[in-house]
Amino acid sequence: MTDQPTPAFTRVLFRMIRQQPVRYGFALFLWVTIWTIPILIGLITAHFFDALTDEIPVTTLTMLVGAVLVYAVVRSMFIFMAMRNHASLLFRAAATMRRNLLVRIYELPGAAGLRETPGENVSRFRDDVEHIVEPFDLFVDFVGALVSGLIAFGIMLTIDPVITSVVAIPVLIVAIVSNRTGGLVRRYRKQARDATEAITGFLGETFAATQAVKVAGAEAHMLRHFQDLNDVRKTMMVRDRTLTAVLEAVFRNTVNIGTGLILLLAAGRLAATGAAGISLGEFALFVFLLHLVTDSAYFYGMFIARVKQGSVSVERLTSTMSGEPWERLVDRTELGLDTEPTGLTREVEKPGPFESLSIRDLSYHYPGSTNGIDGVDLDIALGEFVVLTGRIGSGKTTLLRAILGLLPAEGGTIEWNGEPVDDPATWLIPPRVAYTSQVPRLFSMSLEDNLVLGAKLSDDELAESIHIATMRHDIELMPDGLETLVGPRGVRLSGGQVQRSAAARMFTRAPQLLVLDDVSSALDVETEQTLWRRLFEARSDVAALVVSHRHSALARADRVVVMEKGRVVAVGTAEQLAETSEAFQAIWEGVVGGG
Amino acid sequence: MIPVRAYFRLFTGYLRPHRAKATLLGALLLTTIALQLANPQLIKRFIDGAVAGEPASALIPIAIAFIVIALTHQLFAVWATYLAEQIGWSATNQLRADLTDHVLRLDMGFHKGTSPGELIERIDGDVTALSNFFSSMIIKVLGNGALLLGILVLLWLESWIVGLAITVFTVGTFLGLFRLHGVIVPWQKEIRATSAEMYGFIGEQVDGREDIEASGATEFMLSRFDAIQRKWLPQVIRGWTGWAMMWSASMALYFVSIAVVFVFGSLLFGVGALTLGSVYLVYQYVEMAHRPIEQIREELIDLQKAGASIERVEELLARESALIPRNDRRLPDEPLGVQFENVTFRYDDEAGNETILDNVSFDIAPGRVVGLLGRTGSGKSTIARLVTRMYEPQGGVVRIGGLATWDIDIADLRRRVAMVTQDVQLFRATVRDNLTFFDNSISDERLLEVIHRLELDEWLASLPAGLDSKLESGAGGLSGGQAQLLAFTRVYLRDPEVVVLDEASSRLDPATEALLERAVDHLLENRTAILIAHRLATVARADDIVILEDGRVVEYGERRRLESDPKSVFSRLLATGMNEALT
Repeated sequence: MTDQPTPAFTRVLFRMIRQQPVRYGFALFLWVTIWTIPILIGLITAHFFDALTDEIPVTTLTMLVGAVLVYAVVRSMFIFMAMRNHASLLFRAAATMRRNLLVRIYELPGAAGLRETPGENVSRFRDDVEHIVEPFDLFVDFVGALVSGLIAFGIMLTIDPVITSVVAIPVLIVAIVSNRTGGLVRRYRKQARDATEAITGFLGETFAATQAVKVAGAEAHMLRHFQDLNDVRKTMMVRDRTLTAVLEAVFRNTVNIGTGLILLLAAGRLAATGAAGISLGEFALFVFLLHLVTDSAYFYGMFIARVKQGSVSVERLTSTMSGEPWERLVDRTELGLDTEPTGLTREVEKPGPFESLSIRDLSYHYPGSTNGIDGVDLDIALGEFVVLTGRIGSGKTTLLRAILGLLPAEGGTIEWNGEPVDDPATWLIPPRVAYTSQVPRLFSMSLEDNLVLGAKLSDDELAESIHIATMRHDIELMPDGLETLVGPRGVRLSGGQVQRSAAARMFTRAPQLLVLDDVSSALDVETEQTLWRRLFEARSDVAALVVSHRHSALARADRVVVMEKGRVVAVGTAEQLAETSEAFQAIWEGVVGGG
Repeated sequence: MIPVRAYFRLFTGYLRPHRAKATLLGALLLTTIALQLANPQLIKRFIDGAVAGEPASALIPIAIAFIVIALTHQLFAVWATYLAEQIGWSATNQLRADLTDHVLRLDMGFHKGTSPGELIERIDGDVTALSNFFSSMIIKVLGNGALLLGILVLLWLESWIVGLAITVFTVGTFLGLFRLHGVIVPWQKEIRATSAEMYGFIGEQVDGREDIEASGATEFMLSRFDAIQRKWLPQVIRGWTGWAMMWSASMALYFVSIAVVFVFGSLLFGVGALTLGSVYLVYQYVEMAHRPIEQIREELIDLQKAGASIERVEELLARESALIPRNDRRLPDEPLGVQFENVTFRYDDEAGNETILDNVSFDIAPGRVVGLLGRTGSGKSTIARLVTRMYEPQGGVVRIGGLATWDIDIADLRRRVAMVTQDVQLFRATVRDNLTFFDNSISDERLLEVIHRLELDEWLASLPAGLDSKLESGAGGLSGGQAQLLAFTRVYLRDPEVVVLDEASSRLDPATEALLERAVDHLLENRTAILIAHRLATVARADDIVILEDGRVVEYGERRRLESDPKSVFSRLLATGMNEALT
C-alpha cells in the first residue's frame, strides 16, 4: 500500500477544529480576551506616568490601583475558564487521533511487519500526536496575539506614526525570519527525532534479547553501538535546541531593538512640551504596546515552527496508517469519554453451520524478497483434521497467515461454504475461525480477560474451554486463579502455560475451524494429543488446520499437506505419502531427502 | 520540592569532565544577567536627561549603548544555551551508557519481570527528563533566580521602601507557589501514571495485533482503550486547573507590584525622593521581574517530574544483580567439564513457586557430549540457564572446569560457554551486525567462512545485499528455522569450549535438522556439550544420557550401556519406536 499524500497543515488544522466547533470557538473567545485585555494595563500605566508629572490626586491614585486589581481578578477568572476548556479540547483532539491510529493498526494485516519497531510505534502515538496537537493549541494564542498586536499597532500609530513605522521594521524582520527558518526547524527536528527513534528502537531490541546478549558476552559491543547512536543524537539535539534559542533570541530582542529605536527617534522630544513632544506616559505606553506587537510576531513564528513540526508528524502518522487518507486520522470517532464503554462484553454471535473452506491459487511474497507462497490450493471440510507440514522456510506459517488475512494475499481466492470471502481478516475470525500463532501473546490483564476477550460466556462454557485446553491444573496453581494478572506487569507464565492459555482463548470463541501453528515448542506430545482428543469429543461441528511435523499429528490427520519452497508438493494421508512423496519421507524420517 | 540535592548527588560525577565548559557557562550567565540589569539604568539616565533638557546629542549615545547591550545580551544567551545543551547531552549520554551497561549486567530474573518498554522509559525517557532538567535548572531556574535577585537588590538601592515591599510580595508569592506546587504534584503524578498505562497498553497492542485480530478482539481492546481515556480526561482537566492556579498566583504578584509602584512611586516622587527616571526604572524592574517568576513557575512542574525520574534512575542503579560473582577466577586453560552437585532450583518470580530442579547431580567429563531428555517442564531449559549462569541454584553447586559458577569471572565464562536457544532475537540492523552483535572486529572473511560451513551460502545469496542486508525487527523476515541457523552462526563465530544446545531443534522440522547435523558435528568436535532435545535422534551422538522427570534425574549413564540395558528407561524409549516418546 502506498502512503496517501500529506496535506497542507492548515487543512488538517481546520478539519480538527470542525470536529469540536463549540469548544474551539469558546477557546478562541477566551484566549483572544486574555491576550487583548493587557492593553488596558498599558493605558492605566500611561495614565499614571502622565499624572505623575503633576501632583496626583488621591482619588485618581485610588482609581488607578483599583482598576489594576479588578483587572487582575477578571483576567484570572478568564484564565481558569480557558484552561479547563482547553484541557478538554486538546485531550479530545489527541484522544481522537490515538483511537483512529489504533483502529487503523488493527485493520492492517496483523502479521505484516509494520515499518517501525514497537518502541517507535509507541512514540508515534505519544510524540507525533502531541506534535499535531501543539499547533492546534497554539493557534488560539496566535489569533489572540494577532488581535492584540493589531490593536496595539493601531494605538501606536495614533501616538506617533513615524516612530511606529520605524519600529515596525524589526517586527517585520521577525515575521520574515520565522517564516524562512521553518524549513530548517523542520529538518533539524526530524533528524533529532529520527535519532531518538533509533535509540529507543535499539534499546527495545536489546532488552528483548538480553539473554542472547549475555550468553554471547556481547554487552561491550552492544554498549559501544548504543553510544554511537547517542553521539549522533547529541549532535542533532544540540543543533535543534541551539537553532530554537537563536530564533527565540531574535524574537525576544525585537522589543529591545524597538525600544532603542524609540529612544533614538524620541531623543530631544521626550518630555518636551508641545505637539511634537512625547510624554513619559506615551513613551511607557509605546514600549508596553511594542511588547504586544512583538509577541504577536513571536507567536506567528512559534506557530509556523510548530506547524512545520506538525506537518512532519502528520506525514509520519499518515505513513503509519499505510494507505489511508489523512482525514481518517483526525475525523471524529466515538471516544466513549462521556459514556460507559460498551464493547467490554458482548454476545458471541452464532454463525451458520460450517461446511468447507477452499483456497485456490493463493500467493504471497514478503516485501523485497522472493520468499513466500505461490499458487497454493487447499481444502478443508467439516470434521476434518488437516496437517500442514514441510521443512523450515517452506511457507507453512506464511500460508496460514495469508489465509486468515494476517498477511495481504497477492492473488487467489478463498471460499467459505462455497461463497467467496472478500476480506478474510474480518471474516475468518471467531466465531468462524480461531487461530493460535507459534508464539502466542497474553496481555496485561487478568487471565480470565485474556481467555474471554470480552465474549459473554457462562461459567460452564469457560470451564469447558479451560478443560479442553488442559489448563485447569495451571489455574489452580496461580495465586489468584482466573483473576491472576498476567502479562509483563503480572505473573510470569511458562511457555507451556502461555500456549495452553492461547488454546483456551481459542476455545472460548467456540470456533468452527481451528487453525494452529506449530505448538511443539511449548506443548509435549501427550498434552497436544489430549487437546485434540478432548476437542473432537466435545465438538462434532469443528475442523482443524494444524502445522506440525509430529508423527502423532501426521498419523492422525485426515489429510497431510506437504509444502516445499512455498508450494504444495504433495497431499494425502501419511500412509499414502510415505509411499509416494520423497519430501514427506524426509520429514517423517528426519533425514535430508529430495530437497 | 525541587530535587536539587538528589540531582547533584546523581549527577556531579557526570558533570565533572565538563568542568571547564560549565565554568564558562556560569560566566556567560552572569554576564547576560548583568547586561539585562544594566539596560533599564540607561533608560533612567535618558529620561532624567530629557527632563533636564539635555540636547539630543547627549542622549543619542545612550540610545545606541542600549541597542548594543541588548544585542550582546542575546548573543551570549544563545551561546549559553549551546553550552548548556552540549554539557547536558554529553553528561546524560554517559549516564545512559552506564545505565544500559548496569541493566545488561542484571540477572535474568530482573529482566523477566521488566518489559523492554519500561527499560526504554528508564534509560531514555527518565534520563532525557534529567537532561532537560539540566538546561531548565541551569538556564531557567538558576539564571532567572539570579536575575530576580539582582532586580531586588537594585530596587533596594533605588528606594529601600519599594525594595522592601516588592521583596515581601515576591517571597510571599514564592511561598504560595511552593505550597500550591505541593498540591499539584500528586495530580501530575496521577496523570503520568495513566499516561504510562496508556502507552504500555498501546505498546502491547501493536506488538500483539496478530493475536488480537485473529481472535476478533479488536472491539474488546478498543473498549479497554476507551476506559483508560475515560479515566485520564478528568485527571488532565484537574492538572490544567492546577496550572491555572499557579499562573494566577504569579500574575497576582505582578499586579500587586504594579500597584506598589503606583502608590510608592507617586508618594516618593511627590516628596522628591525619586526622580521621574527613577520611578520609570522601578516600573521597568517590576515588569522585568515578571518574566523570571513566570519562567521559574513554568519549570517547577518539570523539575518535579525530574525528581521522580531521579528516584527511578537511582532505584535502577541501586538494584543489584542477584548473581554477584563471589570471585573472579579464570577458568583453567584446559578442556572444561561440567558438574551438577545436588542442585536444587526454583524460579522465585514464577506462579506456584514450584521446585524446578530437585537434587540434580551429574558429571560431564571434558570433551563428552551429554544428551538431556525429559518432558516439557522437566527442567531441561533450567539446566541450560544454570550452566550459562543466567540463574544461580538455591541449593547445591554447578561447576565448570572444577570451579563453582559463582567463582568464575563472568566475561571468561561467557567466552568459553555458549548456548543456542529456540527463541532467536534479531536486531533491525544488517545481517553482519546481527551475526556479530555489533562487534566490528570480526572480519567478513571469517563470517563468510562460518556461513559456508553451515551451508547457508544459498540463503546469503538470496539476500538483496548480502551481509549488508538489513533485517526487520522481531522475526526479521526470517522463518523460525532460518533464525535458528543464524543463531548457530553466532555461536560458531565465538568458538566456545562448552556448548549448550537448548531445544535447538524444537522448531526445526526434521529435514532441516538433518541438514544441521553435520554442522552440529563440527561444533561438538573436541567440545564439552549438553544437548537438550525432544527427539531421541538428536541425542544419538551423545556419549551419556541424562533423563529428567519432574526435576529429578531418573536415569543417568553411558548411552551405549543404557541402550543395551533392556530395563533402562532409555532403551524403553528407543523400543517404542517413536522418535519423540518423551516430548
